[in-house]
Amino acid sequence: MKIIVAIKQVPERDAQVRIDSAGKWIEEADVQFAMNESDAYALEEALQLKEKHGGEVIVLSAGPERVGTTIREALAKGADRAIHIDGDKLHELDALAVARLLAAAIKPESPDLVLTGLQSDDLGLGQTGVILAELLGHPHASLILTVEKTDSGLNVKRELENGWFQTIELPLPAVLTIQSGGNKLRYATLMGIKRAKTKELRRVAASELGAPATPLAVLESIALPQKQRSTQVLPGTAKEAAAALVEKLKFEVRIL
Amino acid sequence: MLLLTFTLAEPENFAVWEKLLLAGLIIASAALFWRRFGVVLDRILKSKNDPGFHLGNLGRRVWDFVSEVMLQSKVIRQRPLPGLAHALVFWGFCAFALVTVNHIAAGFGLPYLSPTGAFGRFYFYFAAIFALACAIGILSLFIRRFFVRPRWLGAKLSWESGFIAFLIFALMATYLAAFFTTNHAPATRVLWWAHTLCLLVFLPIIPHTKHLHLVLSPATVFLSRGGFSSIPPLDGDEDFGLVAGQDLTKLVSLQAYSCVECGRCSEHCPATNTGKILNPKEIILGVRAYLNDIGPRTEEPLLGKYNSQEAVFQCTTCGACEFQCPVGIEHLPIMIGLRRGAVNTGAWEDDYGTKLFNQLERGSNALGIPAAERDKFIQKEQFPTFDGTQEYCLWLGCMGGYDPKGREIVAAFARVMKHLGSSFGVLRKEKCTGDPVRRLGNDLVFQQLAESNLEMLAQSKVGKIVTICPHCVRTIQEDWKAYGTPPPIEHHSEFLARFADQLPRSDQNQEKIVFHDPCYLGRYRNVYDEPRAVAATAGKVIDPPRARERSFCCGAGGGLVFLGEETGERVSHARAQELVATGASTIGTACPFCNSMFRDALGASNQPVPQLLDIAQLVARSLPAASEPGPESLKK
Amino acid sequence: MSGILVVLEERDGRVSRASWEALAAGRHLAGNSNQPVSTVVLGANTEATAADTAAKSVARVIRIAHPLLERYTPDAYTAALQQLIQSESPAHVVFPHTYQVRDFAPALAARLGQVFISDVVAIGDGPVFTRQLMQGRLTGNYRHQGNGPCLVSVQAGAFRADAVPAGTAEILPFDPQIDDAAIRTRPGEPFRGSAQTLDLGSAQLIVAVGRGIKEAENLPLVQDLAGALGAEIAASRPICDNGWLPMERQVGSSGQTVAPKLYLAVGISGAIQHLVGMKGSQCIVAINKDPEAPIFEVADYAIVGDLFEVVPAITEALKAAK
Repeated sequence: MKIIVAIKQVPERDAQVRIDSAGKWIEEADVQFAMNESDAYALEEALQLKEKHGGEVIVLSAGPERVGTTIREALAKGADRAIHIDGDKLHELDALAVARLLAAAIKPESPDLVLTGLQSDDLGLGQTGVILAELLGHPHASLILTVEKTDSGLNVKRELENGWFQTIELPLPAVLTIQSGGNKLRYATLMGIKRAKTKELRRVAASELGAPATPLAVLESIALPQKQRSTQVLPGTAKEAAAALVEKLKFEVRIL
Repeated sequence: MLLLTFTLAEPENFAVWEKLLLAGLIIASAALFWRRFGVVLDRILKSKNDPGFHLGNLGRRVWDFVSEVMLQSKVIRQRPLPGLAHALVFWGFCAFALVTVNHIAAGFGLPYLSPTGAFGRFYFYFAAIFALACAIGILSLFIRRFFVRPRWLGAKLSWESGFIAFLIFALMATYLAAFFTTNHAPATRVLWWAHTLCLLVFLPIIPHTKHLHLVLSPATVFLSRGGFSSIPPLDGDEDFGLVAGQDLTKLVSLQAYSCVECGRCSEHCPATNTGKILNPKEIILGVRAYLNDIGPRTEEPLLGKYNSQEAVFQCTTCGACEFQCPVGIEHLPIMIGLRRGAVNTGAWEDDYGTKLFNQLERGSNALGIPAAERDKFIQKEQFPTFDGTQEYCLWLGCMGGYDPKGREIVAAFARVMKHLGSSFGVLRKEKCTGDPVRRLGNDLVFQQLAESNLEMLAQSKVGKIVTICPHCVRTIQEDWKAYGTPPPIEHHSEFLARFADQLPRSDQNQEKIVFHDPCYLGRYRNVYDEPRAVAATAGKVIDPPRARERSFCCGAGGGLVFLGEETGERVSHARAQELVATGASTIGTACPFCNSMFRDALGASNQPVPQLLDIAQLVARSLPAASEPGPESLKK
Repeated sequence: MSGILVVLEERDGRVSRASWEALAAGRHLAGNSNQPVSTVVLGANTEATAADTAAKSVARVIRIAHPLLERYTPDAYTAALQQLIQSESPAHVVFPHTYQVRDFAPALAARLGQVFISDVVAIGDGPVFTRQLMQGRLTGNYRHQGNGPCLVSVQAGAFRADAVPAGTAEILPFDPQIDDAAIRTRPGEPFRGSAQTLDLGSAQLIVAVGRGIKEAENLPLVQDLAGALGAEIAASRPICDNGWLPMERQVGSSGQTVAPKLYLAVGISGAIQHLVGMKGSQCIVAINKDPEAPIFEVADYAIVGDLFEVVPAITEALKAAK
């Protein structure tokens, strides 16, 4: 099976973010970048499929030069080769435009399966994989926890809300977006990193894959949310505190 | 001159057939010796070269040799009675060297020491004293092994040791007996031949048994890497640690063949003592068995048949084994080398370990808590940010920055620093030093953490670091050297001890404080008196049964605090019980990991337990609360 | 190009709460531009949901019924809605941000040559759509450009479901052309996660108990609370060490790592070994009599008091609330 995994490099999960002077994006110099979490699970799924069924895992990532470190990490974990769509201003594009770039890079490879993470830890749009399926003309399934290859295609386990799941059968080629937690991630090893040095990493300039259209959705400004998490002490007698807590669970936590 | 009446008797006029027989026996004995020793030597010399090894620092090497080999300092200090017995045997052998050569030479009619000459007479008497001491020594060791039977020598009686003891005793006895015969007496000839036969039987036994240490351990001690737990650099792009025979270095092989199986390492190992499968002696013997069966320069994995991966990952890296070892074996580089081999190639699969590695790959701390939580703590305590104007960079570490109890220790230490008028600042972008991944053998993540921290420290222009965590101290000062030049760092016990006379003293000096030596402060850094001096400002400091360089681990080190549940008894519980049993009202610690492990262990007790405080907290308690509006008083 | 369509979802035969919230968002959007708000229901049988929404204050109810819409597939939903949107040419299409919408709305937008603005938490003048970025650490304000319809989904809880007034509306059918061959995925029957083995990691609600409970005999107190909440019970290490609860219920560095919607910690002081196992919980409630207990540092709601009084009071209040 030839599998392409689209991965995104995002600010580290616990990066301390500062808004840049234009108020449109974060100060990137402040933060360190890492592989998006659900993309790491997508990569893990791809590697396990390859280990079971053979084939090739190709990593695809779009972004500026710094993306190279995340690509090398993916190669170190076991991907066979990589394609880097190189562009400095890709974060200004909307989800459709990014997916068009990825689709343009994927098409000539004609993979059997395209995997992405469910959503990115930075923008959290959760759309790239589904749009890719539309652009490639492949069937898709999202929020996937496990993937099984069958004679006719794939059998996947999809997460539904509130602890429910569903099995979906779909033919290949297909696109899946992978939910975090379905597999156990492997750790990157020194041996993997050393071996990765000899693997093919092809750079394609974003401009070679088609001129971007005017964005349809524009991120105009970013801001710090008003409410910060802090501890609310519920005072009073045991009864009063209990009543206050039930009120909070109902209207603020919304679990009742 | 009573002594003159006793002269060493030597047989005279050896017949030609006797000389021929002697020559034949010597050749046979030497051949038997070489048949095995040559193989051992070949295995050692065929092992790969030690990366980063050089024979520099001769002064240290000579000193180690004189102290540990000639003076038998480690042998005696760590097990005084058997150690002394061993030293007597060893010194006996040394003194005997000249006598033995002369003895053989006499067989060919070429003695160079005359029993009646001034020097010869003196030297034979001199050797006789040693022979007597040696005989007593070997007899004591025999009694210990066969009648006292300490469990560290193994459950099985070693008859080979018994035979060796007999030979040594016989050598001494036949020598001493010759003072009571005359040159012409037939008994003298019998004694001479008996002595010679003992010698010639003893020689080939050496390389076939653990008595190989006689020949190897002086070299092992002299050639050791030095330092404590010195983890060698990786050698090029194909070195991932100790994966297979081809990764065994000359030093590792030499050390494996030097093991005398005394079991001191096992005796002090926290894992062995709490029912884990790890036994450091067996690890070394496993490497030796591998060398015997498979040999160096092979691709057969080291972990599997000869050593178990599970055992290797039970090591807390407390270093009691390496510290104890009398023959110069450096256990930690071997243990960590085997871990490196398993982790750097991805062979080690452990859910907790993988989680830790992934957390440190992407995050800033080993606990996996968002860095924003650390910021909140810094804000709450109003710690200034280090900006180059302060004297010290206060390194929080993962425990100091994220663990609620570790934070209390940092806050207490910061109050004391303010009281002493020392300026300090903290870093916003501090990351884990990489201690747990270093000890678990993950070179990739360790390098990332060391490099990113070093770069950040250089940018921040940090001059001096002080921290509450001995693991941070060790890792920054020693392990980061592979990737740059870390600023000087000290542990808060060293800092506080310098100001001991300015520290507030507790009014009631009656509090009994039992101090637990952290491995990474004691054995790793040789700091024992400073934390005691600091704790002494708060009460009467006592030692638990195992203290100072023999301190027993809390169970947290080597990354183990981040791995799953232990098998067998918990190390932390074993040590906590020992500390509680001293009857002290306070347990004093100097490491936030020890503190956390004991808190956990004491929490499990249903009995009233002593209070648990870091030395910084012991001092901060007595600070005048009102005069200094520290962060504590700002809390509502 | 005008008007607002709100695409509703059904749950257990009725319009779901999230869908009413989406309708409230649609009405809020219309409030700024005075456009008519119509609702869309789709499925194989949509009488009940159509009637539900016809009783609300909406301009029209568009009812799409087709046998191939019986069980959700992205292909059928995308095809049906694409045809509706192309025939209606609305200015905005509003969805609840559910797992189902996330599965097809991006493809639907792409098929229309449009971009879907997902998971909106607020709508300002313009309209400007506010979304959370960096997992809630930032918010971003998005504006839609161009001429096509703008598709948005709104986050659960961002708008009030009960803000939609009652009314009466006409129900209009819409018949899409869906080709059986165009449906490429075969969905199976939904099933519950296996209840056989305890998996605290996927539990939504957890009540955890620590040393504050003192005796094994007092555990029923906490078990009652868990029962009233419908929560799994978990514990800190000393409780499992003592054998009061099985080891598999231990949360912490040597036990399980959990991330439920609610973690209610009873009598747990909050040693770091415990905190690392539960810090990812969405909401943490702590009950402890020691105001200095470290657990309060990570708690969203804190009750400082005697658990032997507080816990029964909460159980009582929960039962009363149901």
